[in-house]
This record gives sequence, C-alpha cells and structure tokens, in this order.
Amino acid sequence: MATDTDYKKSLEYYKHLSLFWTDMVYLMASKPAALTSAGPMRKFAIQAKKLTTEMIEANEDLTEFNTRLAEYYKQLSDTWIEAQEKVNKKIPEIPQDMENLEASKRVWIDMFENDFTQLFDSQKFGENFGKLISSELELSKHWNSMLSTLLETANVPTKNDLDDVYKELHSLRKRVSKLEKNEGSDNDGK
Amino acid sequence: MENELKIDPKIVSEFFKFNKNIIEAPKMVPAPGEINLEMTPYDVAYTEDKVRLLHFNSPTQKQHKVPIVIAYALINRYHILDIHPQKSWVRNILTQGFDVYMIDWGTPTKIDKYLSFDDYVNGYIDNCVDFVRNEASVEKVSLQGYCTGGTLATVYAALHPNKIKNLIATAPVIDGKRDTTVVGNLAKHVDVDNMVETIGNMPPEFMYYVFSVLKPFEQGIEKYINFFRNVEDKNYVDNFLRIEKWLSETPPIPGELFKQWIRDIYQDSVLIQNNMYVGGKLVSLKNITMPIFTQVAVGDHLVSPECSMPLHYAVGSEDKTLRIYPTGHVGMIASSFSQKVVLPELGQWLKERSEK
Repeated sequence: MATDTDYKKSLEYYKHLSLFWTDMVYLMASKPAALTSAGPMRKFAIQAKKLTTEMIEANEDLTEFNTRLAEYYKQLSDTWIEAQEKVNKKIPEIPQDMENLEASKRVWIDMFENDFTQLFDSQKFGENFGKLISSELELSKHWNSMLSTLLETANVPTKNDLDDVYKELHSLRKRVSKLEKNEGSDNDGK
Repeated sequence: MENELKIDPKIVSEFFKFNKNIIEAPKMVPAPGEINLEMTPYDVAYTEDKVRLLHFNSPTQKQHKVPIVIAYALINRYHILDIHPQKSWVRNILTQGFDVYMIDWGTPTKIDKYLSFDDYVNGYIDNCVDFVRNEASVEKVSLQGYCTGGTLATVYAALHPNKIKNLIATAPVIDGKRDTTVVGNLAKHVDVDNMVETIGNMPPEFMYYVFSVLKPFEQGIEKYINFFRNVEDKNYVDNFLRIEKWLSETPPIPGELFKQWIRDIYQDSVLIQNNMYVGGKLVSLKNITMPIFTQVAVGDHLVSPECSMPLHYAVGSEDKTLRIYPTGHVGMIASSFSQKVVLPELGQWLKERSEK
C-alpha cells in the first residue's frame, strides 16, 4: 500500500527529474537562442523552468486542497446523518395529517438548523475552513504566477505590475485629497 | 390492505397547489431585478471617488437643527434603510423632523484595493461630515452607523469627537473575539493577509458563501418554500422580493480595509482594547464622550449582542443608552417592529439631544 512518504518521495523524484532536464535544456540551448533575444521565445525559454516548478508545486497544493475539501464534505455529511437520525426519532410522534404537516416541517428545519449551526460554529469546522481557503489561495498563487510568466514573455503587465499601479494611484489620491483639504482650509482662513 | 399507505388528502391537495404555484409564479410575480424600491427622493450632495453622500428630501418641515449622517455598512447596499415606504428607517427619521444624510460607499473596483480604514474614516466620513457641518451651518452632527458602518462611525467618533454631537451605534461590530456567530468563527480562522495578497478585494461571492451558512435551512430552504406557498399574497411577495433584491447585491470590500477589519476587529479585538491604530493614530473609545445610543438585537445572527454591547461599557460618555431589542439584525432596522418600537425610541432620544 502506497504511503504518504512514498507519494512524497516519488513527487520529489519527478520534481528533480523535471528541473534537471529543464536546466540542462536551457544551458544547452540558451546561447544560440540568445540570437533571438528580441522575440518572445527567448523570454519564454528563460521562464520555462518557473512554469515547471509552479506546476509541480501546484500539484502538491492540490493534494492539500483535496484533503481539506474531503474533510469539509465529510463534516457536512456526518452532521446531516446525525440530524436526520434525530428527525427520524421525532417525526413518528407527530400525526401525519395536514394539521401537523407544518409541525413536521418545523421539527426538520429546527433540528437541521441547530446541528448545522453548531457545526459551522465549531472550532473543527473553522480550522478546516481556514485551511481549505488557504489551500485554494495557494493554488491561485501558482495560477497567477504561471500566467505572469506567460504575460511577461509578451511584455504585458502582470498582476504585480498592476498592484504597483494601484498602490501608486492610492497614494496619489490621498495626496490630492490632502492638498484639496488644505487648500480649502487656507481659503476659509482668508 | 395491511400495508396501504395512508396520506391525508389535504396533504396531497397542498402538494399539488404548491406545484401549481411554482409553475404560475413567473406569471404573477416580478423578478427581483424588476422591483421598484420606491426609495425616498434624495439629492447627491457630495461625491468623492466612488462614495456618494445622499441628502434625503424631507416630506415635513425640519424641526431639529442637528442633522444626522448615516454611515451604512460595507456589506450589501444602503437600500435596506429605505427598503419600503412603510418600513423605511430614513423616511421615519425624516418625518420626525430630522435632516437626514446617508453615505453610499459605492462599488469598489480593483483600483480601490489599497483603501484602508484610514481612507474610510479620516477620508470619506470626515469629508462627508465636514460637508454636512458646512451645509447645515452647525459645529457638530449626529452620526449613526449600522453594522460594519457602526464600527466605522465608532472609530470616527473616537478620532474626531469635536465634530460629533450624538453617536448612534446600531448592531456595531466592536469586539469580534466575543462574537458568537458563524461569521465570527469563520473570520477567526481565515489567513486574511494571504487572502488579500492573492485575490485583492474581498469578492461578493465570498460574502454570499458566508451568508449561506447562516441559518442555512431557514434562509436557504424554508424561506423559498414559504415564498411559493404565499405567491398569491401580494404583500408577502412584495416584502420578500425587496429583501431578496437587497441580499443579492453586495459590493466587493477593498482588500486593505478587509484585512484590517478581520485582523483588528475579529482576530485580535484591538478596538475594544483601545489598541487599534487608524492613520497612525491610536483609537481610544474613552475619547467618545458625546451622548451615545447603542442598539442591539437579541436574535442577531450576523453580529451577536456580545460583540456589540462592549461598546456601551467602553466609551467615556456619561450620557449613554443601551437598548436590547427582541428582533434580528435586519428586523431592527427594516420591519414593522422597528417602526413601532426602535425608531420612536431613537427619535425621542435624538430630539432630547438635538437643539431646535
């Protein structure tokens, strides 16, 4: 039976193998490729290693994401089963006629609401939720990074470039607002 | 037959009626997007970036000198405070003779990622308050904040007490560590720095997820069953669609603001410890010395009373009032109950503290 350690070992092996050949191909091919330094392929060749690394690491994070997602649905499913058992015990006590239909529905809603709220309020749900979100974010980071690599080869601004612009604009807006305020109070004083 | 299934014929008839209602609903009911909220008329008095300051047209003569500025929450839209002519918070305050302004935060886009608490409090709110002070020729205004707007209003009042005559905090988010809601639990476990760095502004979809785990069966299932059962009841349908329209529209929250919000309010609770910094200045709730009215709802599943009430005990004011109402987060501001109980009490409290 394959263990977690075996899985990690084989992942490490493929990571190493892939990086070895990416590095080797780059070293062997970079000098003639430098002739085409103005075109996109040169940049792409330099960045190709990054793409490989990102993809391998994304695979690792995908495993974590799947673990967290499985735990998330397990918690929901366990809670559902538990709540349904409680409802099953309670419902036979209520006469099954039109007058009591509403009461049966109320029992179902209340018991499920109560059990699920307890779950969503619990430490174990909160912790798994936090880790699930974090693993999703890690996947997003790899995706962003791969896209940035491709965008850079085409001289298109990346997310980081845009973030710098947003930061600069924010700072400028603040300065303008401050200047306008100061100008307003100066005029009031005149 | 021994194993014959006995079902009350009324249940069968109810089942068929329910199905008929589902089929016929589109013919009888407008889509939420087609609803006219019949909002109280207003003028846009001031704008800055995406923020608008709305000045509502009063149907009655202004009777009180001190205007009220409402800082709406960062989640969903300000419409909830003017959701229906008969349940409108704004309209009620207007008819009590107050001059009402409300801050609409607009819809932040990616460019607003770096807007922070400082920008909202010392920038937008301060500029809106200054505008109203100037417009109404008063030294101070009354400031009301609802939900997350209550937090912003509280921080503002602590940093600019000289501009605030009265503070009204309605279900404010103050001590997140004590919050007993699902929102509080999720907020405490999120790596918010990583989140904002990776996705920037907090997307509406994330907020919808958080809403979906609050009362998932009442709000996610029962509410819609009841809607289809009552599809012939015009009043029911009208109220339902107005609230649904409101619930379905939430803007993104600027990343930097969201980060500070989750970290300082929910994870570290530094606001209540008088240890929060906004724009480089320490926010001390002891600086809030003006009259303060804190409104809390017992059944609030978004901001629990344990999260809001500490404000009442932490401020430096001697004139302070705490009211705990037997309703929920939305019921406190947009219901028949709020019209009959919450607003008359607030109006009376304000009248006594707003010179004519």
